[in-house]
Amino acid sequence: MPSDLTKVELSNLDKILYPELKITKGQIIEYYIKIAPKMLDLLANRPLVLTRFPNGIDKEGFYEKDAPMGTPSWVKTTKRFSETANRTINYVVCNDLDTLIWIANLASIEVHMTLGQVNSFEKPDLVFFDIDPEPPTSFDNVVEVALLVKEKLQSLGLKSYVKTSGKKGLHVVLPIIPKYSFRQTREFVHQIGKHLASESPLVVSQFSRTKQPGTIFVDYLQNSHGKTMICPYSLRATSEATVSTPLDWHNVKKGLKPDKLNIFTVPKSEKNPWENLTKNRQKLEVN
Amino acid sequence: MVKSSEPRISKRPIWSGRVTIGLVNVPVKLFTMIFDKSVSFRFLHKQDGQPLKYERVCIKEDKVVPWEDIVKGYEVAKNQFVVFEKEELKAARPESDQRIRIDKFVDFLSVDPIYLDKSYVLTPDKSEDAYSLLLNALHGMGKAGVGRITLRTKEYPVLVHVYKGALVMTTLRYAYEVADPSKLEELKDLKEPDKGQLTLAEKIVSDLSGDFDITEYEDTYKEKVDELIEKKLKGETIVVTKPVKEEAKELMVALQETLKQLKKK
Repeated sequence: MPSDLTKVELSNLDKILYPELKITKGQIIEYYIKIAPKMLDLLANRPLVLTRFPNGIDKEGFYEKDAPMGTPSWVKTTKRFSETANRTINYVVCNDLDTLIWIANLASIEVHMTLGQVNSFEKPDLVFFDIDPEPPTSFDNVVEVALLVKEKLQSLGLKSYVKTSGKKGLHVVLPIIPKYSFRQTREFVHQIGKHLASESPLVVSQFSRTKQPGTIFVDYLQNSHGKTMICPYSLRATSEATVSTPLDWHNVKKGLKPDKLNIFTVPKSEKNPWENLTKNRQKLEVN
Repeated sequence: MVKSSEPRISKRPIWSGRVTIGLVNVPVKLFTMIFDKSVSFRFLHKQDGQPLKYERVCIKEDKVVPWEDIVKGYEVAKNQFVVFEKEELKAARPESDQRIRIDKFVDFLSVDPIYLDKSYVLTPDKSEDAYSLLLNALHGMGKAGVGRITLRTKEYPVLVHVYKGALVMTTLRYAYEVADPSKLEELKDLKEPDKGQLTLAEKIVSDLSGDFDITEYEDTYKEKVDELIEKKLKGETIVVTKPVKEEAKELMVALQETLKQLKKK
């Protein structure tokens, strides 16, 4: 590789990682390069967890919480104690294009991020509503619940952001000033969920009832120390090579097809709906 | 200078004897004239830069075995050997009789190059007249002598022919060493080509026809390595640049585009 463009020694570019669509590692790296101008700001200063699929998505992948052996010295890492893992983890942090290319070259198809930044790891700056349907629910129902969450937050004077999970659900995210504990943000999401459950028969707000068919769980439990969310613009290990895609709220409506947001279509969009997310940190009204 | 010049023929013959044609003898000396110039490296110990030596180690005892305790084994089946003492093999060796025995003469161009192995130059040993006679006769008639020689421990079929004003002896491969491609399945039922296409093919061949000139081909790998050696000798550091593969090119285009966008921010 010409060293004037990237520090990364690219390898096995021909290796097919999405067997159904015959997508190679080279194409995956190309995707992350193209999406980097939108993605990097959202990843910055956040401990990351990689899901690597060195032998393709139909073979077993593995979570890589710690920076792997052979991590180049120019890749930024940070040691943080994770309550979820109950140990200190040496997380990868991605603040530049080279690091993102390096991550992609590891066949890390999925990139997950913690909800707190490096310097405020105990105090999340994102509140995460994971709208997670239990089949058989149509995606239209998921859209309906996401809009309910949005409206509820709006009525509290809060501006939320939305993305597809890249799988069956939608993620609603609230950027906040990092001064609340995970217990507080978790409780906040739980309260909103309970409200919605009382108003809509679709919504479930208790973990014990999540496996009820045809319901949608507003998952608050992800708002915990060391837990992660799939990064905006991360690829998913699905047969359609879907992307967890940030959307404008006005595009979140009936008929939305999350499968159509994938490695091929997402880089073509000029829009960057989450552009101002990090500039729009809000105060959380905790009940 | 590490740059290699044309190889020179050594002053010491590797063999001397005579070319015998019936009762006629041409005394000759034999010199190496083919030199393998491909790049060769030695293994060194990374830490101290010292050359490595090879030792014959018994795989069972893991100890170096002295030469006097070494015999030759012919592997008849996997890990099964028939053992030979030096003397036994020596007895089977052909006797070197210091002769290149010519059995017959053939048109030089009738010898398929497939059989040619390694060439040695012959020079006259004392009697120049006999040498000159044979050289000129072969040259005039376009013929070559076919015969055999025993070199060290092996008998070879050979061709004695003319190359640039010298008699040259080229060892030949035995018939049993060369596979017969006509037995290949893929070649058995080749279609007759279409006449028009054949005419076109022949036109291309005749358009590209020329005189054979081996100096048109250069060993570019060797040239590059020679260049690197020069640089290393001058103390310059060598930047390893890998060639960009075809599929990586698209990546690089995307990368350039993204770098431009990031710079604008």
